[in-house]
Amino acid sequence: MASNRKKAFAAVAALASASVVLAGCGGGSGSSGSNGNSNTTAKATKGGTLTYYIRDALEHTDPQRVYLGRELTNLDRTVYRRLVSFPASTDTTKATTPVADLATDTGHSSQGGKVWKFTVKSGVKWQDGKPITCEDFKYGASRVFATDVITGGPNYLLSYLDIPLGSDGLPTYKGPYTTKNNDVASFNKAITCQGQTITYHFKQPWPDFPLAVASLGMMDPYRKDKDQGDKSNFQIFSNGPYMVQGKLDHNRGYTLVRNPNYDPKTDNPEIREANPDKIVYDIGKTGEQIADQLIADNGAAQTAVTDRSIPPAYYTQITGSVADRAVNVQSPFTDYLVLNFARVKNLAVRQALAAATNDQGWIDAGGGSKSYDPADSIVSPTVKGYQSNPAFKRPSSGDVDAAKQILQKAGVKTPINLSFTYPSTPTADKQAAVLKDTWKQAGFNVTLDGVANSSTYYTNIQQPDQKADIIWAGWGADWPSAITVTAPLFDSRPNLRKNTNGQDYGRYQSDAFNKFITQAQTASSLDAQTKALQQADIQLGKDVAYIPLEIQKFYLLRGSKVTGYMTDAASSMYPDLGPIGVQ
Amino acid sequence: MSFVSPGSAIDQEAQLPPERELEADAAAKVVGRSPTRLAMARFRRDKLSMVSFTIVVIYVVGAILAPFLVKFGVLDPYGPHQSLLDPALGGIPKSHWGISLHHPLGVEPGAGRDVLSRLWYGITFSLMIAISATLVAMVVGTVLGIIAGFSRGVVDTLISRLVDLTLSFPQTLMLLALSSTGVALFAKALPGNQAAALPNAVYVILVLGLFGWPGMARLIRGQVLTIREREFIDAARVLGASNGRIYFKEILPNLWAPVLVQFTLVMPLYISAEAALSFLGVGIPPPTPTLGNVLTDSINYSTGDFFFFLFPALLIAIVVLSFNLLGDGLRDALDPKGDR
Repeated sequence: MASNRKKAFAAVAALASASVVLAGCGGGSGSSGSNGNSNTTAKATKGGTLTYYIRDALEHTDPQRVYLGRELTNLDRTVYRRLVSFPASTDTTKATTPVADLATDTGHSSQGGKVWKFTVKSGVKWQDGKPITCEDFKYGASRVFATDVITGGPNYLLSYLDIPLGSDGLPTYKGPYTTKNNDVASFNKAITCQGQTITYHFKQPWPDFPLAVASLGMMDPYRKDKDQGDKSNFQIFSNGPYMVQGKLDHNRGYTLVRNPNYDPKTDNPEIREANPDKIVYDIGKTGEQIADQLIADNGAAQTAVTDRSIPPAYYTQITGSVADRAVNVQSPFTDYLVLNFARVKNLAVRQALAAATNDQGWIDAGGGSKSYDPADSIVSPTVKGYQSNPAFKRPSSGDVDAAKQILQKAGVKTPINLSFTYPSTPTADKQAAVLKDTWKQAGFNVTLDGVANSSTYYTNIQQPDQKADIIWAGWGADWPSAITVTAPLFDSRPNLRKNTNGQDYGRYQSDAFNKFITQAQTASSLDAQTKALQQADIQLGKDVAYIPLEIQKFYLLRGSKVTGYMTDAASSMYPDLGPIGVQ
Repeated sequence: MSFVSPGSAIDQEAQLPPERELEADAAAKVVGRSPTRLAMARFRRDKLSMVSFTIVVIYVVGAILAPFLVKFGVLDPYGPHQSLLDPALGGIPKSHWGISLHHPLGVEPGAGRDVLSRLWYGITFSLMIAISATLVAMVVGTVLGIIAGFSRGVVDTLISRLVDLTLSFPQTLMLLALSSTGVALFAKALPGNQAAALPNAVYVILVLGLFGWPGMARLIRGQVLTIREREFIDAARVLGASNGRIYFKEILPNLWAPVLVQFTLVMPLYISAEAALSFLGVGIPPPTPTLGNVLTDSINYSTGDFFFFLFPALLIAIVVLSFNLLGDGLRDALDPKGDR
């Protein structure tokens, strides 16, 4: 439906999504030649121009600020190499096991996961030919702490890295841009460089740290002399196989050409084959326009891919040779509604709204089983720590009577006026209209506020004074643990600041919930952590902090001359630019 | 050119006998008829105008009735009927576009709302927007046109240049570019729920109206230029009438014919403008049905099945054509000397 906020990946239920892959792409006639009839097409050849259709303007291209699933994988495959990365593979276990990229190996931990060591490869260079040093990595990590400048990105480092917290609840180190009252000494102790070996010291064990490094860009190296703070938001200084040609326009797109200072010998072909000579990001077409072009399959669209699922209105056109160019896979992203706790304070109102939510109607209006799988928790079943949340029965067509009873028992007067904000598309408008219907029957007078400019959608709902009562959002786990779902979304402590809601769009604050998260973060065993996270989710259900809608499925079309096409767990089920090529 | 007797063009028409057929039935006894009655007689004889007039009346009456029909549950433009849809095909109706006794025009794909109800109720919103925007354009255009035509000198020059300036603005572009700020502004200024369709409607009405007045102003100015030289204006002057009185009590009553004609000619433009704006995403937001919204929604499905597109497009085409023909007919009837 809309842009996917966060990085995610599907790991545990590998079999489930793999079988969907096959089911979704079956029935190919083989008429499209080497593109075959499955997710992985014939081995790619070098050369040519790949086009990537994107609907919304880019939010960030700064490695420390990027948090969109599509951008995280695209940038990793083209311009920002990481210490470790995920190899492209249809085997989900393989695709979610990091392999060495800029580091010589996948890292060594000691003290039960509290200390991590990586050694940077020799011979790896920036696009201007200078070598990538350990100091570049350290500088990159330091930028995360400048929370007033480097906004939007993941903030795990703030709570994990061994730096004392100040009275404001934030680390005493404030990033590289300020010297006043800045605890640089603590940071220098937390991350140390010896030659090309970088060592990270954490407060608590971080056993899956390599997964975090491979998933997110927060640990990426950054060149100090290229850093202009907020002005660097849309700059790309590459260390990967491609570099930006000309100017990067975050509203219109940009072009990548080969980086002469990239040495494929320092890289792993499983991570990136870098087949096309040129990659063009074409931004600004609507989902409908993208589908039109890919179905017509003319000109640049023949060598094009997209992250945008086929709109339901086009399903009848996906037949014959067009169907051979489509894949239908479950994505790692869950869509959900949050209630604005600053405005909807009455628990009974929230419970009644949740009971009257017609998620089956939402799914059907959004394209049915090709678009969505039902979700009974905000945590995806592919993530460790998932359990169905007892507060939500799925699928549900909206239990109007139950909702009325709840309201009656609590003595709430109806109709209750509420507003619902969501990123507007022709499909989403209908889905919202379906939700509105059962809500209305239950006594809620809901005004639909579809936001047409979806590139600023999340920025808007992060405003502390925003007026929406019901807020749509989507999220995928950063790595396959529930601690990357409920904690970043509902822990009020790192999220709620004077000028932003962070990821806690509904301003949910609960000491009980926060206590479970602290328990999970400091848990001695993985089992204890999982248990605490499951209790945390139950607490969210009790408070109706969110209402799960569905798990997104991707229904992606590609041009007929795209080879090596794969949507895998390593790329959050988006087209993987690692092995891709064009004829 | 020979001398003409004083009096308006329509008065002369009554005295001269150019239209033989008209006079034929009146030949037996000569009855004095007012210019209005003459115009109405001319209009009634024009079959095309009468047909379009009837259609316009049907539309308007339907538009007035729709909110009551919705209130009493006869029309249901919002209720989804998803059981009639096939989710596997992206929500296309299972059979025959969902046509049944309950849904004479079928249901829309996706949510399964009744097409007839949405179209019918959509006419109400579309006409409301078009009429409001036309009124804004007419009022501003007429007032400024009278002032410009009557004032001469600096005021005339200023208003005329303002007309040129407004006409030279790329208004569609402005409308798109300013929409988010404009709507936000109205959302703040208007009371009640911010997310309602009202700010969007006000924005569309004001922008269409405020860019639509120059044509009207030019037309009125031209008319006023001829009227201001008449004796009755001089007489009013001599009697000490104020400018305001002359504008609105002496000149304005002589302008109702061009205003009426212009109204019926501009309104269909705004009906299609509303549809275009909905398509471009700055119109009235869904789920409120307007003809534009229903049409926009059907366009995505039209490549698969043209039927969804048929009725919304047909309804817009009919209402626009009818208003245009009505406007032409009115012009012919009210100003028979006007060249075509």
